[in-house]
Amino acid sequence: MTNEATVKSGHQKSEAGKRLSTIMFSDYVNLHQRARDGAFVVWIAIVVPAELFAGFDNVVYGVPESHAAMSAGKGVGPLQCEKAERLGYSLDLCSYARIDLGTAFDGGKDSPTMGLPKPHLIVSNNNNCSLLVKWFDIYHRTWNVPHFLLDVPFCYEPQSARDLDYIVAQYRDLIRTIETLSGQTFHIERVREALEHTRDALASWKRFLKTAASRPAGLTVFDSFVQMAPFLTSRGTKTLAEHYRLLAEETEENIAKGVFPVPNERYRLLWDNIAPWHQLSKMSSRLASLDANLIAASYTYCMGSLEGEFDLYAYDGGDPLRYLARTQNFSICPHGMTLRFQAMRRAIDALGIDGVIFASNRSCKVYSVMQMDLLKRVTSELGIPAVMIDVDHADVRKYSEEQAFTRIEALLELIEARRKEPKSLPGRPA
Amino acid sequence: MKNIAENIKKFKDRGRKVVGCFPLYPPLELFHALDLTPITLWGLRDFIPRVEHSDRHIQPYACSVARRLLEFVFAESGAALDGLFMYNACDTLRNLPEIIDCGLADVGRALPIFKMHLPMVPPAQPEWPAYLRERIERLIRDLEQAYRVTFSPEKFRQSVALHREMRELAKSLETRVAEGFLNYGEFSRITTEGWFTCVEDQILVLRKALRDEVGAENALARKSRRVVVSGILPPPRRMIRDLENAGVTVVGNDVASQNRALYYSPPLTDNPVDYYVDFYQRHYPCTTLLYTADRRVFAIRELVSGVQAQGVVFVGEKFCEYEYFEFPHLDRVLKNMGVRTLFLDVSIDDDEHAAAQATRIETFAELLDSAGAGGFHDQ
Repeated sequence: MTNEATVKSGHQKSEAGKRLSTIMFSDYVNLHQRARDGAFVVWIAIVVPAELFAGFDNVVYGVPESHAAMSAGKGVGPLQCEKAERLGYSLDLCSYARIDLGTAFDGGKDSPTMGLPKPHLIVSNNNNCSLLVKWFDIYHRTWNVPHFLLDVPFCYEPQSARDLDYIVAQYRDLIRTIETLSGQTFHIERVREALEHTRDALASWKRFLKTAASRPAGLTVFDSFVQMAPFLTSRGTKTLAEHYRLLAEETEENIAKGVFPVPNERYRLLWDNIAPWHQLSKMSSRLASLDANLIAASYTYCMGSLEGEFDLYAYDGGDPLRYLARTQNFSICPHGMTLRFQAMRRAIDALGIDGVIFASNRSCKVYSVMQMDLLKRVTSELGIPAVMIDVDHADVRKYSEEQAFTRIEALLELIEARRKEPKSLPGRPA
Repeated sequence: MKNIAENIKKFKDRGRKVVGCFPLYPPLELFHALDLTPITLWGLRDFIPRVEHSDRHIQPYACSVARRLLEFVFAESGAALDGLFMYNACDTLRNLPEIIDCGLADVGRALPIFKMHLPMVPPAQPEWPAYLRERIERLIRDLEQAYRVTFSPEKFRQSVALHREMRELAKSLETRVAEGFLNYGEFSRITTEGWFTCVEDQILVLRKALRDEVGAENALARKSRRVVVSGILPPPRRMIRDLENAGVTVVGNDVASQNRALYYSPPLTDNPVDYYVDFYQRHYPCTTLLYTADRRVFAIRELVSGVQAQGVVFVGEKFCEYEYFEFPHLDRVLKNMGVRTLFLDVSIDDDEHAAAQATRIETFAELLDSAGAGGFHDQ
């Protein structure tokens, strides 16, 4: 147990938190302003490599999924979902999609950012989430906006050289498409520069996440969830690199000063799925009251890594398109179970995880449909207790806090019981 | 057909290895040419009533197609399979190969699973054909190695001819439905069972159906209450009966396992690479083939106009996002054409809602008699 005299709670808004608000506000204001001033506007899926747009003089991008997450976090998720449902979109569809459709077809009303400026081009991909292609097709059909699809093979195993070439060829098509539609010329050296910022940002991001290895952990996963946001809206910028550097430094300084988000941390947990955006504050507080800390998430540790890995895969200054293609599968959803399990094992070992919460999320089948077997593998092969709860990432109407916490508390009891066993499981400290 | 397992046994008794394929548009001719018998594991509703094995591996919010597919492979009925083939489709199906590995390991079994990435970019993009060519060539090599068979261009040509004949016969049968000489229920039964048999047997069944006009006694050449049904699966039998009882005639279909799958056959060739580039490029638009999206609305409009349908019944397979994202737009398009629409959810426990759906179908049928357009949603 940590000496409570030297430990302070870190729940007050940190400098990094304040800076984050400023960056996000600035990103959305800038997006709307530049769009009004005639910039070429692209809407992208979250894993479309935004550094490519830095290669043009005046291309800006909006990220509907990021906007939907923010809307859910600000409490307007159900309101926007209901608008989409009234238009005929089923309650069974992804809640990000329903929030986005509800927002877009209501002209940005009730959005924390006034929605997104209307696009000149929509770019989706099918490796992170293939339903997103259908979602973006709705705008393509309704507004007659071109829709460019990046076709990226799913990774049951690490990406093949042939698949990498295939992705690079599609980037070249995308660049030509934007040049044609926008009348602007592409400059590869600017993408290289953007990638250098991304490299620095991701190195700091990994540093930040590794503060979870401290006991107590230097962060909660809720910090990392919210701090992901500028990676989606400011990717490839010096601002992002600087922000993540300060975030890592601030978190390391807090550890040195004995400031921890869950000072009495007794249970170190890992989260598997998208963040429960509507529950960040409530879940964080309730877990802390149980001396439990979610210190890692597959959703956040994948940033900056290759499929199946936990450590940083840094840009080496080479061909920007090949680096972007190699990291096109960085997020968890394009990974098969074997790769996900491999990365999770590495996270568990690196951070000293006591238990895993699998958040079964009916809005995100691609993340969730394999968790039952993944859970079995974590418990049987790693000897780590795990539990599955039902959470929709953005639609609070599909979440029951009491049901979730009944299971989470059972998980904590199981961890406690394991600790009292006379002999620990092989390879696992009691 | 009572039992798919019996069918598989029949093929194996003939000395053929049987490969279960999913989703709907696998390269059937290629398997057949390699002396393998492909069966398409789609539409198992009538054969797999319960999913208890599957429920240990996949959440209940996966569609019934995936849950029944897993059940079939895990249960004894799937034990006779010699392999599985899948290409990339939706977010649920792409996770199935490794779930299948886990489930089979639980019962001490294993199966080779062949996976192929089908390009989803618009076929006009230059990298599309080259990538697909390499995938097909690799698949041939993998199958040759796994089953110790050798690809023969001549056999491939013969296989293409057989599959062309099967599709042409199925289309002729569908025309009989549109003309009112065959009821849709019979057409649906015949085509659904066709997925679980070999192409030679399918041809025999289709020829007989055309000759005998099976189901003709129940068919009616109505000029009113004519509808098209749409979905990734045909309506369940009881829903087809409800439609017929309500005086509705199904005169066309936009069903993935029927018209969408049977519509197009490339020309005869002994070159599988050219064949499949053509096959997938020109495939009838389907929600599961992302690159066909721009052609899909046009195809639906053409189909509805061609058979002079007054309405479209969308049979939504619950949790199939690909289909559900398109419904509101198609609804608007059809309304603008003066065509009425009905949306019905079908889920794994759909019998619980059968009575309510029958009532909606009756109301919809009455609406078809009235002038003007409008949607009638099953919400």
